[in-house]
Amino acid sequence: MQKETGRIFSFYFFLRKKSPRTKVFYLLSWASVVLALIIRAYRLAGNWTETSQVVFQNILMTFFLQFLIIILALFYGSSIVSEELEGKTWPYLSSRPVSQAAIIVGKYLAYLSLTSIMLVSAVVISYLILNLDQDFHLADLGTVVRYSAVLFLGLAAYLSFFTFLGTWLKKPILVGLAFGFGWESIIQYFPGSTQKLSIAHYLKSILPQYTTASGKLGFLFIRLEPTKPLIAILMLLLIVIVFLALAALIFSYKEYLFED
Amino acid sequence: MATIREKGYHHWEGRLKEKPRAFWPIIRTGIKLAFERRRFKLLFAFSFVPAVVYGVGVYVSERLEDFKFMAQGAEKTLQVNPNFFKSYLTLDIIYFMILLLMSLGGAGLMADDFKHKAVQLYFSRPLTKLDYLFGKAGVVMFFVGVLTLVPGILLLILKLLFSGSFNFFLNYPWLLLSIIFYSAFLMLFFAIFVLFCSSLSNNRNYAIAIMWSIYIFSDILGAILKGIFRSPYSSLLSIKANLGQVGAAFFLLKPPYDYPWYLSLLTLSLFSILAYVAINRKVRGVEVIR
Amino acid sequence: MTAVIEAINLSRWYGHVLGISEVNLEVQAGVTALLGPNGAGKSTLMKIVTGQLKPNIGEVRIFGEKVWNNRHIFRRLGFCPEVDAFYEELSGFEFLSGLLSLYGFSQAECQKRAERALEAVELTEVKNRKIKSYSRGMRQRVKIAQALAHDPEILILDEPLSGLDPLSKRRIIKLIKELKGQGKTILVSSHVLPEVEALTSEIILIHQGKILARGDIYFIRELIDTHPHMIRIKSPQFRELARILAGEDYILDISFRPSEQAVIFETHHRDHFFSRLNELILELSLIIEEITSPDDNLQAVFDYLVGK
Repeated sequence: MQKETGRIFSFYFFLRKKSPRTKVFYLLSWASVVLALIIRAYRLAGNWTETSQVVFQNILMTFFLQFLIIILALFYGSSIVSEELEGKTWPYLSSRPVSQAAIIVGKYLAYLSLTSIMLVSAVVISYLILNLDQDFHLADLGTVVRYSAVLFLGLAAYLSFFTFLGTWLKKPILVGLAFGFGWESIIQYFPGSTQKLSIAHYLKSILPQYTTASGKLGFLFIRLEPTKPLIAILMLLLIVIVFLALAALIFSYKEYLFED
Repeated sequence: MATIREKGYHHWEGRLKEKPRAFWPIIRTGIKLAFERRRFKLLFAFSFVPAVVYGVGVYVSERLEDFKFMAQGAEKTLQVNPNFFKSYLTLDIIYFMILLLMSLGGAGLMADDFKHKAVQLYFSRPLTKLDYLFGKAGVVMFFVGVLTLVPGILLLILKLLFSGSFNFFLNYPWLLLSIIFYSAFLMLFFAIFVLFCSSLSNNRNYAIAIMWSIYIFSDILGAILKGIFRSPYSSLLSIKANLGQVGAAFFLLKPPYDYPWYLSLLTLSLFSILAYVAINRKVRGVEVIR
Repeated sequence: MTAVIEAINLSRWYGHVLGISEVNLEVQAGVTALLGPNGAGKSTLMKIVTGQLKPNIGEVRIFGEKVWNNRHIFRRLGFCPEVDAFYEELSGFEFLSGLLSLYGFSQAECQKRAERALEAVELTEVKNRKIKSYSRGMRQRVKIAQALAHDPEILILDEPLSGLDPLSKRRIIKLIKELKGQGKTILVSSHVLPEVEALTSEIILIHQGKILARGDIYFIRELIDTHPHMIRIKSPQFRELARILAGEDYILDISFRPSEQAVIFETHHRDHFFSRLNELILELSLIIEEITSPDDNLQAVFDYLVGK
C-alpha cells in the first residue's frame, strides 16, 4: 500500500502541477505577496502604516487563515473524485493495479504538498518583503515558521475533511462552501463546547497571536474559549487521520458512475 | 430554373424578422433547469427565511404592546422605516443566499454552454449575441429579484395592511421607488457578476470557486487594508461594502462607511463594465461570423 | 480450450434502467467482437469485465480470478474506454509514462515502454505534443496505447474505431490484428458490422442487454441474410422493373411509390437481387436514378432477430 500510495502521489503531483487550476491558485496565493509589495512601497514613500509585524499578522490571519487555506482545501479536496468523474478520466485510474485507499491517500498527499508549497512560499515571501530591513534578525524567522506550521496543520485538516466530503457526496462543493464559510464562521460565536465542533477553533487555539495576546486582532478571538495547544494539535491530527480514513473506506466500497 | 447548390454550408441571405423577446426561451429554460434540481428547490425555499423573519418583524412592530413582555426595548429596534427595508436588502445573509442559489442555478449558465460547445447551437438560431446574454442574465435577475424585489414590496404591503392606514406610504412616498431601483441595481450587478464568473471557465465547479473567491477575497482585502492603513476608503475594494454603501444612498440614509456613496457606485459600475467586456469577448470567440 | 474471460449470469441495472440481463459468456484467446446497436449494453458489459462496475447479480472471472475489487488482475488487463477524455495538459509520452508508473515500473522502464507503445500506434513523432492538440485519430490511438503499454494478456477495447477517418481505422485494425498475432485475448465492441468484419470472424450479438447470438461471421451473415431487406429504386421505368422482377422467387413483396417514381422491393437475398438488377440495367438500358435501402441498418437486423 505504501508503494502504491507513493506512485499515485508522484503521478498526481506531476499532473496537477501542470493544471490551469494550480496556476490560478498560485496567483491567488501570491496576491498576498503583491499586497506586501504595495504596502512596503507605500511605506518607503514615507507614509504611515501599522508596524510590519502587525501588517503581516493581519494578512496572515484574515487572508491566509480565514480564506486561502479553506479555498485551497475545498477545491482540491472536494474534487478528488469528481474531477475524475466529470473529466471522464476515471477508467484510466480504476483499471490500474493500485488499491482504492492508495488512490485517496496518494492524491491527498499530492494535493497537500502542492497547496502547501503555494501557501508556505506566499507566507515566507510576504513576511520577508514586509520585515526585511536593518532591524531584521534571523531569529524573527521563528515566528514565520510557527505561523506556517499552524497554517499547514489547518490546511491538512481542512483538506482531509473536504476529501471525505468529496468521496461521500456526488456534488460536495456547496456543502463544502457552507461548511467553510458558513459553519466555521458562525460556530465561533457560540459559547462553550459548541465551538469545538469546528476546525478553526483548534487553529485559533494554537496561534502565536492568541498565546502572546498582543490584542491587535482581538476581533478574531471573540468568545474564543481556547483548547490547550497540545490538545488542539492532537485534535487537528485526529481530524486529519479520521476523515482521511473515512474517505479511503468510502472510496473502497462505493461505486462511482459517470455519464457516457 | 431552380438554383443548383453545392451540398454544404452556406450563409442564409434572408432578413430576420424582428423578434423582440427572442431571449425569453433562454430565461424560461434556465429557470426551469434550476428548479429541476432538488437541492436548488430546498435552498430556494430556505432563502426566504430572512424575508419571513422581517415579515414577523413588521407584524410585531404594529403589535408592540402585545409583545412587550417578550422584547424589552423593541420600540427602538423594531421601527419599520426606510432603514428597516434597507437593512433587509443589504443583509449579509441575503447576498450569501444569492451566491449559494447562483452556485447551483447560475454558475453553469455559460460554463456549461462552453463545456458542451453549445454556444454555437444558440447562434445557429435567429438569435443575436445580446439576446443570448440577456437570456442568461435574465435567469440570474429572476432569482435575485425573487429574493430582493418581491420580499421588499411584500414587506411594504404588509406594513400598510398591518397599520391599517396609508400614513406610512405618505410619510415615505419614495420608498417604493427605492426598493424597486435598489433591487433592480442588485439584479443587474449580480447578473453581470455571475455571468462573468461563469464565462471564465468551462467547468461550473471552477465558476463557483471563482464567484466565491472574488466575493470573499474582495471583502477580506478591504478588511486587511482597513486594518493596515486605517482608511475608510479601503472598503472600496469590498463588493459587500460597496453594495451596502450604494444601498444606503438609494434609501436616502447615511452611508455606513465614511466616504461618498457615489465612489462605491463608480467602483461597482467599473467592475461591471470590465466584466461585461470580458463576457462579450468570450462570447465573440464563438459567434458565427457573417 | 479454457476461457480467459468468463461471465456468469451477469445482470446490471441503473435504477429502473436495465443495462445487461443474465449474460453468460466465455471469451477465448484471439479477437472477439461484441456487436450491437447503441445502448445495447456493450459498454456496461465491458465496464463490468474491467472492474469499473459491480454487477448486481453474477460475476466475472478472468483467468479464474474474480475482477471486482481485485486490483492485481489489472496487471494482465488493458482497457481502452469509449469516452474521448484525457488528462489534457499532458503530452502523449507523459500520459503513458505516468500511467505506467502506477504499475511500479522503474522510471527508465516506464519511458521505454511508453516509447514502444507510442511507436506501435505510430505516434512517436507527436509524442511530446500536448494531448489537447491531437486530432481525433491520434487521441484514439493514444488511448489504445495506454491500454497496451504494460503488455497485458487481455485487451478490452470499447468502440476503438468510432468516429475515425478511414486511414485511422485501417491503422487501428492493423494494430489489433498484430496484437492478435502475439497471442493476446482481445474483446472489442462496435455497432458497425463492416468494422467488425474487418477485425474478426468471432462475433457476439448483443441487444437490449441480452446476448442474442454468437458465432462466426458467416453464421451472423446468414442470420442477417434471412432478414428481409427493403430496397427502394427510383426510375422512370419503375413499373417495368417491378413487372420483370415480380417473377423472381427471392422477391417477397413489391410496393409502389408513384408520386416519387419509385418502387420498393422486399427480398431475403440481396446478392441475387443486385446481380439480376445489374443484368437488367445492361439488357434493357434502364435509367436508375437512385437506389436506397430504407432499413439497412443494424437496428433493423436486431429488431428482426428479436421478432419485432
